[in-house]
This record gives sequence, structure tokens and C-alpha cells, in this order.
Amino acid sequence: MADEIRNGTPGEEAQNDSRDPSGFLSEIIGAPVTVKLNSGIIYKGDLQSVDGYMNIALERCKEIAEGKVVRNWGDAFVRGNNVTYICADSA
Amino acid sequence: MEEKEETHAEPLDLVRLCIDETVIVKLRGDRELKGRLHAYDSHCNLVLGDVEETIYVAEDEDEDEDKPPTVKTVKKQSEMLFVRGDSVVLIAPFAGTTQ
Amino acid sequence: MARLENLLPLELIDKCVGSQIWVIMDTGKEFIGKLLGFDDYVNMVLEDVTEVDPIEGNGKLPKILLNGNKICMMVPGGDGKTVIEGDEDENEDAAMSG
Repeated sequence: MADEIRNGTPGEEAQNDSRDPSGFLSEIIGAPVTVKLNSGIIYKGDLQSVDGYMNIALERCKEIAEGKVVRNWGDAFVRGNNVTYICADSA
Repeated sequence: MEEKEETHAEPLDLVRLCIDETVIVKLRGDRELKGRLHAYDSHCNLVLGDVEETIYVAEDEDEDEDKPPTVKTVKKQSEMLFVRGDSVVLIAPFAGTTQ
Repeated sequence: MARLENLLPLELIDKCVGSQIWVIMDTGKEFIGKLLGFDDYVNMVLEDVTEVDPIEGNGKLPKILLNGNKICMMVPGGDGKTVIEGDEDENEDAAMSG
């Protein structure tokens, strides 16, 4: 019980899918997201892909400061170690 | 299944597509590099050619803490540069950026 | 409720899935929201999140994936309003019932 406590039964696993991190990510691929870095910088764009390091590829990537767009990056790769959170804008 | 892997490519594919293209690399410590991407690896270690480095420095000559410090930029040129991956924040193809 | 002395840390977090949790980061930033799930690195999916930053102020976020690598501490059922200097027994009770 202690070892596999978080996996639950197979049926539950499918149900929980969109709630655990990988399920959440696959749910929001292609959707508009806000990415906040540890430095406080905010990027907004469409989530192209994410990997296990939380490296992120964003399309139409905009850098936001004080609510305003300060820079357009187009396509951008963000290194995962800098990321605090990924927020689904539409959720 | 394989098709799914193709459509949901991994983020480093974006960097792979930048090989031999001009990229902008944002680094920790308010630094930016613009140069041609020759090579990269999974740590984001990079080799860049014809590099222009821009360093943003906050000037506080008046020591007036109420005013926001003015930002000065320092530029440096390098023929070839190795960048250690842990200082990389963002990589973007220069062609897609504006301002 | 299971006896706490036999509860592994990750089991405690697992018990919080579906309920409110207060997350404190190494940086001092805090997040309060409903825990939807987490993984082996304790990356967490949170819903209806309040982001608390002493400098930037508060913000609301509908649904986030929070990177686990800078998480310092988590309080089950916490609302971010627990007063550390207050009656400690009361604070503990509030945390346990969450």
C-alpha cells in the first residue's frame, strides 16, 4: 500500500490523468499559457511542447512586464530550470 | 502512437531547427547573445559564431533611490563562443523576434 | 485518519489531493490552491490559485503546473493566513483537519 499509494486502480488512473502533471500538460498543448520564471519574468504564448526537465517551447511568445508586452520573441525555447509555473490561461 | 510523438515534438527540436541560423540567447545576469548557432546539446551548452553580447547594467550614479535606475548597455563582439547551458534562460530564432 | 507517525511525507501530500494546500517556495513566494495532482518530483497541478508575493503583490491563476524544484514547504488545508506567532496548538489542529 505504501509503495503504490499514488497510482490507485487502473480505472482511477485514467480518471486522474488530466489532474497529474503529465496529464495536465498533454491537455494544454497548443493552448495559450503564461510561464513565470524564478526571476519574475513572465512569458505568454501558445504551448508547443514541454519535456521532462520542464523545458518549454512557446509559439507567439511575448515577454510581459507590468502587464504590458515589452518584447515579441516569436518561437522561443525556455530552459526548464528557470520556470516557476506554467499557467493555462483558458482553464 | 508514432504520429502522436511527431506532432508533440520536444522543446529542444526548436533549438535543432535553429542550427546555422542567427539566434538570440537570453542568459542569467541580464545578458544577451546574438549569433549563429553552430552546436548545442541537451544541457543547452551552445557554440555560437559571430557573436554580439549585450550586457544590461543599471546605473546608479546619483544614488537617488526613489528614481528607477537608468539602464546602460555594454556590447562586446566575439568570433566564437561556448556557452555553458546552466546560464541559459531562453533561446529564440532572431528572424521571429521584433524590437 | 492514519496515525501521523506512520505516514510517509508523500503519503501526506497524496491525502491532500482534492483539497486546499498552501505551498511556500524557497524564494518566499507562496501559492494557495486546490491540489489536483503531483508527480515523483512533487511538481504539482493546482487549481484556483492565489499567488502571494511580498513584492509583486497577489495574483489569481486558474490552473497551474508548479515546478517542484523550488518548493520549500507545504501546509495541508492552509489558507496562507496562519499566524506563526499565534497559538501553535490551534494552528496544528487547523492543518490536521484539512
